Amino acid sequence: MASIWSLQFHSLSFLLSIWGNKHWLSSNVVRLPTKLLLNHSQLKNNRKVQLRAIAGSSGSEVEQPTQNAVVNSVERGLVLNSEHPFSRFQGTISSFPPVVLMMKKYGGSNLVIGFCIATAILIIAVRAYVVGKSRDNIHGSVADLVRRGHLRSDRRGISSPLKYDDPFNNPLVKVGKGNSTVEMCGKVYRLAPVTLTRDQQAIHQKRRSRAYQWKRPTIFLKEGDSIPPDVDPDTIRWIPANHPFATTTSEIDEDLAQNNVYQKHGVPFRIQAEHEALQRKLEALQNDEKLNNLMIDGRNAKDFQRPFKLYSKSNDPVEESPNNSKVVYSKPPRPKLDPNSSQGNLSSEEMQKP
Amino acid sequence: MVSLQFHPANAKPMSLCPSFQTLNPTKTLKSYPKPRRSVAIASALQWNRKPQLAGETPRVVVITSGKGGVGKTTTTANVGLSLARLGFSVVAIDADVGLRNLDLLLGLENRVNYTVVEVLNGDCRLDQALVRDKRWSNFELLCISKPRSKLPIGFGGKALVWLVDALKSREEGSPDFILIDCPAGIDAGFITAITPANEAVLVTTPDITSLRDADRVTGLLECDGIRDIKMIVNRVRTDMIKGEDMMSVLDVQEMLGLALLGVIPEDSEVIRSTNRGYPLVLNKPPTLAGLAFEQAAWRLVEQDSMQAVMVEEEPKKRGFFSFFGG
Ligand SMILES: Nc1ncnc2c1ncn2[C@@H]1O[C@H](COP(=O)(O)OP(=O)(O)OP(=O)(O)O)[C@@H](O)[C@H]1O
Ligand SMILES: [Mg+2]
Repeated sequence: MASIWSLQFHSLSFLLSIWGNKHWLSSNVVRLPTKLLLNHSQLKNNRKVQLRAIAGSSGSEVEQPTQNAVVNSVERGLVLNSEHPFSRFQGTISSFPPVVLMMKKYGGSNLVIGFCIATAILIIAVRAYVVGKSRDNIHGSVADLVRRGHLRSDRRGISSPLKYDDPFNNPLVKVGKGNSTVEMCGKVYRLAPVTLTRDQQAIHQKRRSRAYQWKRPTIFLKEGDSIPPDVDPDTIRWIPANHPFATTTSEIDEDLAQNNVYQKHGVPFRIQAEHEALQRKLEALQNDEKLNNLMIDGRNAKDFQRPFKLYSKSNDPVEESPNNSKVVYSKPPRPKLDPNSSQGNLSSEEMQKP
Repeated sequence: MVSLQFHPANAKPMSLCPSFQTLNPTKTLKSYPKPRRSVAIASALQWNRKPQLAGETPRVVVITSGKGGVGKTTTTANVGLSLARLGFSVVAIDADVGLRNLDLLLGLENRVNYTVVEVLNGDCRLDQALVRDKRWSNFELLCISKPRSKLPIGFGGKALVWLVDALKSREEGSPDFILIDCPAGIDAGFITAITPANEAVLVTTPDITSLRDADRVTGLLECDGIRDIKMIVNRVRTDMIKGEDMMSVLDVQEMLGLALLGVIPEDSEVIRSTNRGYPLVLNKPPTLAGLAFEQAAWRLVEQDSMQAVMVEEEPKKRGFFSFFGG
């Protein structure tokens, strides 16, 4: 998380991130070195130059031995406490020019402290908001199962996954100096060299070849099948008859299957076969029909007519009013139309055929 | 031991003076998270360049383990997509007859209409059974069978060889990698899956049961003439290794005597990515396991193996920003 955080914020100004990240505690910690520094500046107004001089171990340090001692002790304290995050923190804070400058300018004024507190609150709010947002972006929750239709609950959020873009530039992996450490995702690992040699590898291989003697089965037989005469029994794999996922027999033969795999264009074999079968059936049906038509023409026509008669009969009582006479006159042409046309069709077919 | 800011070895440039501190980027800004180019080390990590494809294409790699549930499918999905991301064309074959789940891990379950069984039967052509990933169009998935359909194992192995052949000669060119996700166990499914392979990735976890199966499977693979076998040690917990509660990766290597392709840490993101149908290596920001898979893919391309393993967690040297980032 740390690295993500700092990634997001590394473009912000130093000051902002100082204040933003450690809540109230941080402002307390900052005040500590502030006081220290202020005291020092009361004692000596040119303290900054002093410090630099000490650090560079130039000759000027001899001038103020007492001051020197004070600063040195501070420094030593920092060194001793270096494992402690706070002291490191103090070190870094006090070494920042903007902070030091601000401290110098406004002394202990409440205004500054108030301003800082306000800024801190603002930054904390912004951070909380950003963290909340980034939490929304952490994917792979049950919500995604919902999105994919495996779970049913529409109350769950729907998220859109992110892509990690460039596989050739990974800022989160760093190799340390001397190739002895590697840092990934903000964690540091030590690299230990692999000691396996070629010889050892060969020894292991030999051991295995002694321990496991195996010939890959080339023929699969169901338990209970008889062994074909020209087959090495070592290469038989016996498959339990109730094997759930595999069958030893197949309705399709090997060559055909191979052709199917190699087929690159066109209609797949089975589809083609089914299509052709259908076509044949259809043709057969049509032929049958023609034969029928030829043979029993008249009865066929009657068969066609019958439903229409039924239709008109069943319809008449419902639709029509008791005034039957009118209906009888107006109605007949309609039911007659269809049988006529069908008969016409038949006759035309008949005419074509012979 | 990596020095902290106040490490005695670096005492000389240390100073309380602000100007000094900022002028000295190696100290305070050591872990400054600005994208910096990492040093290229052959044994460890190489970014900023495309890996060199070694060997003849298509490289037919079977991913196997013996024991079930150690992460074969996870490995296939992540290594496969990593390879695609690195720019290679990949066909992943889910050879887990009946218990397939690679499509789920990849989030492609709704797009699998045809499988190899349908291809064999002639219900569809091979190109219709290949499911192209929309995220990385050079990644394709091929399933062997639907959950309830039966693969004729009488020529299942041969069928896979035909498949590889057909893929080799297809119009858009042969794929660079054909990854085969092998089912657990060493029965018919395993035999079928290893048939077309010329190299194997053995996935194991650092526990004794998984190791015994791995050794056995390695033996069978070697008997079958697959010589190029490398292992991926999955679900490694550095904290447990440190506490001597878990075998270290080097212990595993001592027992199996196999070259290391990768070491994948235990990572809760794995299950999240399964939920999403979005393999770990596509996570942003990347996770530890995702990075490890990516490196494994890198080594697979170059037929390289790990020369060093990451063993022990050290307290991160804390720089200015990481401290605040808490
Ligand atoms: N590095 C890891 N960290 C955490 N969990 C993991 C890791 N690798 C795998 N898993 C989990 O282990 C389980 C099994 O993984 P996976 O399905 O990949 O195994 P498999 O070997 O393919 O199983 P099978 O033998 O059933 O095919 C999954 O639930 C997965 O989330
Ligand atoms: Mg699996």
